[in-house]
Amino acid sequence: MPVKVLAFAGSPRRNGNSETLLDWVLAAMAKDPDVIMEKIPLTEANINPCKGCNACQKLNRCVQRDGMDRVHDKIIEADIIVLAAPIFCMGIAAQAKMLIDRAQVFTSRKYVLKLPVVPVERKGKRLGVFLSTAGQDWSYVFDAAIPSVKCFYNVIEVKDKDIRYLMVNHVDEKGAILNHPTAKADAERLGASVIAEMRKRLAA
Amino acid sequence: MTVSVLGISGSPHRHGNTETLLDSFLDGAKAAGSSVEKVVLKDLDYSPCRGCNACHKTGECVVRDDAIALFGKVLKADCLAIASPIYTMGITAELKGFIDRGQYLWARKFIFKTLYFTDDHIKRHKGLFVSTAGQNWDHVFDGAFPAITAIFNGTGFEYYDNIIANNMDEYKGIKNHPSALKEAYEKGQKVVRVIEKLNITG
Repeated sequence: MPVKVLAFAGSPRRNGNSETLLDWVLAAMAKDPDVIMEKIPLTEANINPCKGCNACQKLNRCVQRDGMDRVHDKIIEADIIVLAAPIFCMGIAAQAKMLIDRAQVFTSRKYVLKLPVVPVERKGKRLGVFLSTAGQDWSYVFDAAIPSVKCFYNVIEVKDKDIRYLMVNHVDEKGAILNHPTAKADAERLGASVIAEMRKRLAA
Repeated sequence: MTVSVLGISGSPHRHGNTETLLDSFLDGAKAAGSSVEKVVLKDLDYSPCRGCNACHKTGECVVRDDAIALFGKVLKADCLAIASPIYTMGITAELKGFIDRGQYLWARKFIFKTLYFTDDHIKRHKGLFVSTAGQNWDHVFDGAFPAITAIFNGTGFEYYDNIIANNMDEYKGIKNHPSALKEAYEKGQKVVRVIEKLNITG
């Protein structure tokens, strides 16, 4: 049975540090011969910000017709959802926050309309991976991003305990992560372990 | 000298809870004799930061749009009130998109050292964060504070106060909150008096 991996490259900078980290994780995942993988760079995804209109609480869908239509279905279908985004100004980059806020349609579905977000047989099986990089060397530089990330995963039926994190600080200029002593090995280990975990879950 | 107060509304949704709370603050500030301007981000034309780091080489942003003029206004104001509702445990993407564009000011401060705020300047410039959240959790604003701190630090404002009200879903809107609008109005009056006093006595 194939494992479906959906990955978002949430940086406005293509092939920068957070996307490199993502590529390492995805390459490790792709070593499993039966993985269906898609990487969506948010710079090309045409996802607008949430309008805060709350119409989804009644309609069970968003009133905006944009790239989120396609992404919405892919989020439901995936086994593993990976979000990679850099920290700008002590928070997640605005491009990634747009995607996160557009998950409001899932919040409405789950908590207001009380409808299933994923088919019942897949509930509790999905895994999330959050990858991030930051220029600052402060250990707390990722703290403000995490509540938004948890919220994003929770509303798409990935529990807190099923989110894996790899966050690398003190990488600023493009390519800085290539010189990081452990990032690549950590990313490869994470990718392999997440696939192994999903294989176990799908077999159970 | 008249105190200038700039309010920035970062909600995508006009005249909602957060903008109403900001309006109350600005009304109080106006009543205390300040000159007040409100900018609604959703009416501006700007894009989020591209992360290109070109500003690290020049101190200028390569994207010329409304964000640059707004940073110009921010740098001229005595008091800055930044408003955003909490969406998914953080500020809105609109506001985050604007804040991230301040990277060129960071470059001027820390790379070129052409922008510097004295302690006295920072003391006389007061920043307030105005926010509402649907959830009733006390920690619902925590993810917002660091980015707000970042823009105040970057533009020379002391992070003076928060005007925040949670549990909007249960109150069914800010107008039904027992005290938030009145407190916002009073904080608007007070901050103008505090800045006036600082400008006279130093």
